[in-house]
Amino acid sequence: MAHRAASSPVLGQAARPATRAPRQPRVGFEGRMMTPGLILLAALSIVPFLALIAMSFSRVRLLGGVALDVVGLTNWVRFFTDADMWMSWLRTIVYFVLTVGLEMVLGIGIALCLYRVLRGRNILLGLLLLPMFAAPSIVGLLGRYLTDSTFGLYAWVLRSLGYGGDILGSPATAFAAVVLMDVWEWTPLIALITLAGLSSVPQSVREAAAVDGAGGWMALRYIIFPAISNVLLVALLIRSMDAIRYFDIIWVTTGGGPADATKIVPVRLYETAFRFFDLGYAAAIGLAMLAFSIIIARTFVRLLDVRGLTR
Amino acid sequence: MQWTVDQPSRRDVLRGALAAGAALTLGGGVTACGARGDAPRTAGGDQWRQYQGTTLNFISENTAPTAAIAADIRPFTDLTGIDVRIVTLELTALVQRVALDLASGRAQYQVIYADPYQVLAPYQRGLVDLRTLQADPNLPDLPGGVEDFIPAQLDAAGRFVDAGPVYALPYDAPTMIWQYRRDLFDKYRGRMAADLGFDPAPGGDRTWEEYFRMAEWFNKNATSDVRYGTGHQARQHDSLMNDFSNVLWSYGGTYFDNGKEVGRLGARDPGPCRLDADAAIAGAAFYQRLLGIADPASKTWDWDGVGAAFRAGRLAMCPNWHEFAASNEQVLPGKVGYAALPKGPAGTANMYGGTGVAISANTLPNERGAAWLFLVWATSPQTQLANLKSKAGGGTPTRTSVYELPEVRAAEQRPSQMPNMLTAAAVRQAWQADRIGLRPKIPMWNECNTAIFTQLSRMLTGGASPEEAMRSIKSRVDQIVARGWVA
Repeated sequence: MAHRAASSPVLGQAARPATRAPRQPRVGFEGRMMTPGLILLAALSIVPFLALIAMSFSRVRLLGGVALDVVGLTNWVRFFTDADMWMSWLRTIVYFVLTVGLEMVLGIGIALCLYRVLRGRNILLGLLLLPMFAAPSIVGLLGRYLTDSTFGLYAWVLRSLGYGGDILGSPATAFAAVVLMDVWEWTPLIALITLAGLSSVPQSVREAAAVDGAGGWMALRYIIFPAISNVLLVALLIRSMDAIRYFDIIWVTTGGGPADATKIVPVRLYETAFRFFDLGYAAAIGLAMLAFSIIIARTFVRLLDVRGLTR
Repeated sequence: MQWTVDQPSRRDVLRGALAAGAALTLGGGVTACGARGDAPRTAGGDQWRQYQGTTLNFISENTAPTAAIAADIRPFTDLTGIDVRIVTLELTALVQRVALDLASGRAQYQVIYADPYQVLAPYQRGLVDLRTLQADPNLPDLPGGVEDFIPAQLDAAGRFVDAGPVYALPYDAPTMIWQYRRDLFDKYRGRMAADLGFDPAPGGDRTWEEYFRMAEWFNKNATSDVRYGTGHQARQHDSLMNDFSNVLWSYGGTYFDNGKEVGRLGARDPGPCRLDADAAIAGAAFYQRLLGIADPASKTWDWDGVGAAFRAGRLAMCPNWHEFAASNEQVLPGKVGYAALPKGPAGTANMYGGTGVAISANTLPNERGAAWLFLVWATSPQTQLANLKSKAGGGTPTRTSVYELPEVRAAEQRPSQMPNMLTAAAVRQAWQADRIGLRPKIPMWNECNTAIFTQLSRMLTGGASPEEAMRSIKSRVDQIVARGWVA
């Protein structure tokens, strides 16, 4: 009995017409190698994402095991007609522009100053980077204590300068305070990335510009910035993605108040999901945040793509 | 016949090993998830030791009674052989954990600190009706029965809608009272009386209008002693709703029709919000005026913030939870007085913020029995008395019999080894049926509460008039109630 011969794929192939090309396996070697990773990705991202979509069209029950009652477009209609939610989006955009804008301006400025420092640059850089290593919730707590009107240092300084109000007690100053806390923490990251970019600008190019009579501003405008613009774009992308989901500092300092002045979308999302347990509506808000993040990320990636930096 | 056997390649061996490993891991995981043993039980013998060897998890807000119990859990372990692990969290985090634990169908936390408004009302179906355990002949009875608990507190903290089932036993009883600098009132009493035209002695007979005038007087005349006459917990937070509600009720305002009943037993559908009524708007207008002369930092304080400011000597008086007495007496010994809150045109109200301890309905039978033992012990008169004396925490008793003990009675006067008892006269008045302030106990309260304190915060920061704020709250609360609640 030629058991092996009958079951051998190699010999079996030989019996087929010679003109037929060998059949490609449906999943190639690379595909098989990627399978564990794809399964992990599906478990961590794709399945929750699909669950999130399903939840956004449902009312979620918790007791007796999680169950979804389909409610159609109710959550989405509420999302698009909720005036408070639109105000939160507006605040989020203002907050996003202010934090990322200030961090970019200050970070670049500090990096340019540091770049000119020849002695003790590493010590200065180390000191500068310290805020970045604190957890955002710790930064929030620090901010809260420093602005506390009973024992806060900043509150005392402002009082000596004639400011009688309470920093976290009025909408405008509370908003400014949480923006500044974020700027304090993350400006060093921009400075660090910019400094790395500045170090990569060839000395010869800068010397040539100087020989040609380019002053400080001209060299910055026509030599330095074009040379480091790609690095700045990456820094902008990193900070933007982070700023969209900003939560910790606001939650610790103001909890979204006063008068909702600091209630940006992530805070509202947290509240809807984990205080009101309205998980269906929270899923709709979460998906909208995801779409917003993708739009911002795609904008930056496209800019990088135009410059050929994604290849 | 000849059989040819392939030698497995190295890849085959690796693949096989990987598959076997994955299968084992998966199988083990599934078994581990599925297997859930009940606590051991020894039938017969001592009722208190029948569940020895069990481990219970108790999740609680970081409050004074739990701090005291955590510091002295040994007597319970010695009595029962049950090990109790206590997790303390800030209230919001506790509510999240409890909701997710109840959703999981497994009782990781068998004993739950059940806030009546954030746990009991929304998740009542997830809690055990304790009457079943009280009626079980194999389990010890509650000493003194449920009747020993202060009646208003048993209803508010332990029942929901139906007057029969008891889902939680009253465990702590923080109540808002008037806390004032006794030394400053003694110092300025004559001058204040002459300037204001009435005796400024704090007490339930004073009116909110008089409170306002006294605070204003301190602002103008006692700046060498205190910076402001009054301070409030008016941050955009639960505390703002609490602080405001005292004024609202005393002006005749109410959140819903039949407000006393909705507060005491609760309701699933409380009907339309009544904050647009004239009395509510008048209360809001007064509250806005009062905050206008209060310490400006009030808008950033919750109860801890105003408590810290008061102890720091910044304020002459403030409404706050009576359990702050213990810390007041540490920092300002003998200098603080306590009284029931002032009255308004329609009467007086003192916000009650008490909580019960409950058992998760996901518990298995023996776990449930063990949890009952803990509840009986934790709320027993002996434990409540021990808590009063505890250096680690304190709280205040929820049982009538404890207040009647001679040593507790004696502690109501200075010098007192139980500083929270210095507030006893004030809270005894505050807990009377016509004076206790009970916020609505409805399943969707958390969201309604957020709408209330957010709009109040708008009012206090100049973003809305009292009338606009009250109408805005009414419209939001009506929408939230109309959506209903699913748990």
